[in-house]
Amino acid sequence: MKKLVSILTAAMITLSFAGCSAKPASGGQEADAQGKVFHIYAWNEEFKGFFEKYYKVPEGITVEWTIVPNEDGQYQDALDLALMNQESAAADEKVDMFLAEADYIVKYTNSEYTQDIKALGVTDFSNTYKYTVDAASDANGVVKGVSFQCCPAGLIYRRSIAEDVLGTSDPAEVQARLDSWDKFNEVAALAAEKGYLMTASYASTFRVFSNNTQSPWVDKDNNLVIDPAINTWMEQAENFVKNNYTLTAGIWDAEAMAESAKDGRAMCYFGPAWFYNFSMGPAFGEDAVKEGTDSTGDWGLVEGPQAHFWGGTWLLAAAGSDNPEMIADVMNTFINDEEVCSNLIEKEAQFTNNQAVNAKFAADPEYGNAYLGGQNDTALFLDLAKNIKFQNHTNYDQLCAEGLQTYFVEYLKGEVDKETAMKNYYKYLNEKFPAVHTPE
Amino acid sequence: MKKTEGKRRRKSVSYSKWAYIFIAPFFISYIIFTLTPQILTVYNSFFENYRDGLTQIGPNFVGLGNYQKLLTPDSAGVIDVLKYFGNTMLLWILGAVPQFAVALLLAVIFTSSRLNIKGQGLAKSIIYMPNLIMASAFSMLVFALFNNIGPVNKLLISTGLIDKTFDFLTVKVSVRALIASMNFLMWFGNTTIVLMAGIMGIDQSLFESAEIDGAGSLHVFFDITLPLLMPILSYALITSLIGGIQMFDVPQVITAGKGTPNMANTTVIMMLNNFLSISKNYGMAGALSVLLFIITGILSMFVYRQMAKQYKR
Amino acid sequence: MSKKNKKARIQLILLRTLAYAFILLLCAMCLFFFVMLILMSSRSNSQLQGAFSISWGGHFLQNLRNAWTDASINIPRGMINSLIVALSSALLTTYFSALTAYAIHVYDFKLKNAIFTFIMAIMMIPSQVSAVGFIQLAYKFGLTNKLWLLIVPSIAAPVVFFYMKQYLESVLPMEMVEAARIDGTSEFRIFNDIVLPIMKPAVAVQMIFSFVGSWNNYFMPSLLLTKAEYKTVPIMIAQLRSADYSKFDMGKVFMFILLAILPVMVVYSLLSKSIIKGVTSGSVKG
Repeated sequence: MKKLVSILTAAMITLSFAGCSAKPASGGQEADAQGKVFHIYAWNEEFKGFFEKYYKVPEGITVEWTIVPNEDGQYQDALDLALMNQESAAADEKVDMFLAEADYIVKYTNSEYTQDIKALGVTDFSNTYKYTVDAASDANGVVKGVSFQCCPAGLIYRRSIAEDVLGTSDPAEVQARLDSWDKFNEVAALAAEKGYLMTASYASTFRVFSNNTQSPWVDKDNNLVIDPAINTWMEQAENFVKNNYTLTAGIWDAEAMAESAKDGRAMCYFGPAWFYNFSMGPAFGEDAVKEGTDSTGDWGLVEGPQAHFWGGTWLLAAAGSDNPEMIADVMNTFINDEEVCSNLIEKEAQFTNNQAVNAKFAADPEYGNAYLGGQNDTALFLDLAKNIKFQNHTNYDQLCAEGLQTYFVEYLKGEVDKETAMKNYYKYLNEKFPAVHTPE
Repeated sequence: MKKTEGKRRRKSVSYSKWAYIFIAPFFISYIIFTLTPQILTVYNSFFENYRDGLTQIGPNFVGLGNYQKLLTPDSAGVIDVLKYFGNTMLLWILGAVPQFAVALLLAVIFTSSRLNIKGQGLAKSIIYMPNLIMASAFSMLVFALFNNIGPVNKLLISTGLIDKTFDFLTVKVSVRALIASMNFLMWFGNTTIVLMAGIMGIDQSLFESAEIDGAGSLHVFFDITLPLLMPILSYALITSLIGGIQMFDVPQVITAGKGTPNMANTTVIMMLNNFLSISKNYGMAGALSVLLFIITGILSMFVYRQMAKQYKR
Repeated sequence: MSKKNKKARIQLILLRTLAYAFILLLCAMCLFFFVMLILMSSRSNSQLQGAFSISWGGHFLQNLRNAWTDASINIPRGMINSLIVALSSALLTTYFSALTAYAIHVYDFKLKNAIFTFIMAIMMIPSQVSAVGFIQLAYKFGLTNKLWLLIVPSIAAPVVFFYMKQYLESVLPMEMVEAARIDGTSEFRIFNDIVLPIMKPAVAVQMIFSFVGSWNNYFMPSLLLTKAEYKTVPIMIAQLRSADYSKFDMGKVFMFILLAILPVMVVYSLLSKSIIKGVTSGSVKG
């Protein structure tokens, strides 16, 4: 079966490639001869593991991995240098494919260092989620890569607290009480009255707002824009901290995580499947049971006030690659090969970028997540993922977001006044991004 | 007379041949691997040269534009570089004063034949250990201890010393104290070893004869140890100053690169790192480096002069 | 007389007690963090995510096994790479710095003062300044994944030179060099056979420092070494820390850090012996 699929895809690729090779986007290389070495850049081993397990490398080609840690932007440094030297590099030294995260993918899709994958033969996007395609497209809509996973995120709520505060713990009813920010803020006051925290971190909701902005962080004239949605977040954070609805801890701080333990006070966390499956240590898992902090089953998942996503890894096609056929084959395999996608769900706990395969598992009545009290999270994510938007992204997003959070919290903690906090934030951006103009 | 002079001169010429041979590897390596990149840096400082995403901007010649930008005060009249430089020096002094006091005392204790301390090898290994842990790892440990739900806060609350969690990692005084203590802890063992090696290099017979003369420990320390230790002590001070000016990883990790709070713990190299890390701003980074070089040079010369004066006395 | 002696003895005992107490206090402070590191490396990732606890985590062996046998990160390989780089750099840096310092100290030549001032000046340039240009050039010439590129530049280390120079100033009697010359010893042999042994404590000290510095060096190697077979230990630790969420394991990270310290401890204990030896055979000054 798998062989048949790969033969078919291979045939498709060659056909569509022959049809499109006249397009200038493919780099005008004499692409008939495939390179012997397929070079992939990545910042960790995650995709490498899946690739080695589920992708059959064509005979005569060796795959070479360059893995540079993400810390301090080192991965991008190494990748940028390699891409800039791409033209002069020997055929087998050229980067063929590289991995990118949502935070900085725009930098590469909007550059000449990536190429149109439709021209290479990745043409079937009928089953992929729209936002993952948008994320991998440049400003003109040319698709430069695919994501092999999908990371829709929701509101993870504590059932017992919801019962106490809202009088119900049923997902549908909880969602009805939390489906807008106004309602969310109202419930926060109710929760506080009962001695709970609405969220464990002032930045818990940040990503939900920043995924739903009207304008990009930096406009066409390179001016920093604080979107109304971000302003709303700042107001909310200020209000929440002032009224003790939340803590001034960062989302990853132990202080915030500890509130998810058995005796924790936090009602809501925001995150995708990987957040509760792997990151809520004090709440779930063997050690949590051993330490007596386990709160398995006391949680539920709903969409919350707004749809958003968090995380995900995209595969991008490097311009000037000498292995265009294999790029297309790898990409097609990870978004359209049913068997591979099924394996990713079953054996690797992934939510794939193939709606048909996801739907198959979502419909399984036997399936449920024990952490969430048996709720079928895949079924919820299946719908959630359709509402996600990837819009208004720029090169600068990661630090614009991260910088605002860290400088703003100094104000929330009362260390500086609001004006100084913002001034420090602008200074930070000026040092990091000479091209961006900040107010003043 | 003339003849011998001529001979001597020829002799010294043949020796200077050896001098040049001996310093050749150092200089060849230096020119290739350090000087060339450094010249590139100075050259860069006169250009606008950075990356916007993947787009290279420049290099465009801007003369002293980068320096001007660096030295322009903000709306509140603060010149950031000078503020960061002040932060850096303050953090260095806070750590270096106890570091040198303790190291000097320890070095004297360890080398004193009168005290004859046992188990020195073990003690010396232990005090050097903090230097072996990578600064980033060390910072992670300090984080775990001092965060809002860490053991230090728990202890202080349970003993009633404070009634509310104290945010060690945000309050200016405590962040500075933490950074200074970490630097102290990481480097006092190193300084002790340097000073000990220095003391050991001093002719032991001087100590012996002083002892026979019945000189007191303080007397021996100030009249024999300290003057003879001056070259090594000035080495230790100057290198500590240089290291202090380049202070980076501890404040970087402890404040997550933001110099929390209110940029009171941003050091000069953290600023340099901000210029370089994302946009590869070689222009501004170059200008900052040159400025830093000038300031460090003046400071070191000053320290060195002072030391030399002491030394002569 | 005996009264005076007694008083002196009591004084000595008091001093000694104070000294020991002082040393113990400092050692306790230093050990505290080391013990903490061991404790942290005994805890699993989810334990580490929660509140700090002083108790033993019970995952020490599991973390050790995970770290040592990690499929993608080959620690033994990393340790060998780190050892090659750190040891070679330490040897080169101390030998050539001592040689240069000796040349400046002993010989009178035209450029002597100019060169000394020059080295002192360049010592003050922050290393970050040249690092950037260095990496630019290395990429330009295609010199990535070459261990020697991390080793050879250590020949020129102004700070080590400065130390050696200061040390020579306080220990080397010129008469000794002149006596050797009269015996007809060649200049090279004078340095290698006579001067170097005298400098042993200084050499040992700088060897330790440069070994540790090189062993913990992350910035430059992480940009130059991208292939798995050349990576050094700090790069591997950083790689673990940027692992994906499902494999992210702080327990393993702390175990790695602990493992990374061990070789340095061994080198340190070996070299610190030679510092002590340097003292006992130290009375070189006539």
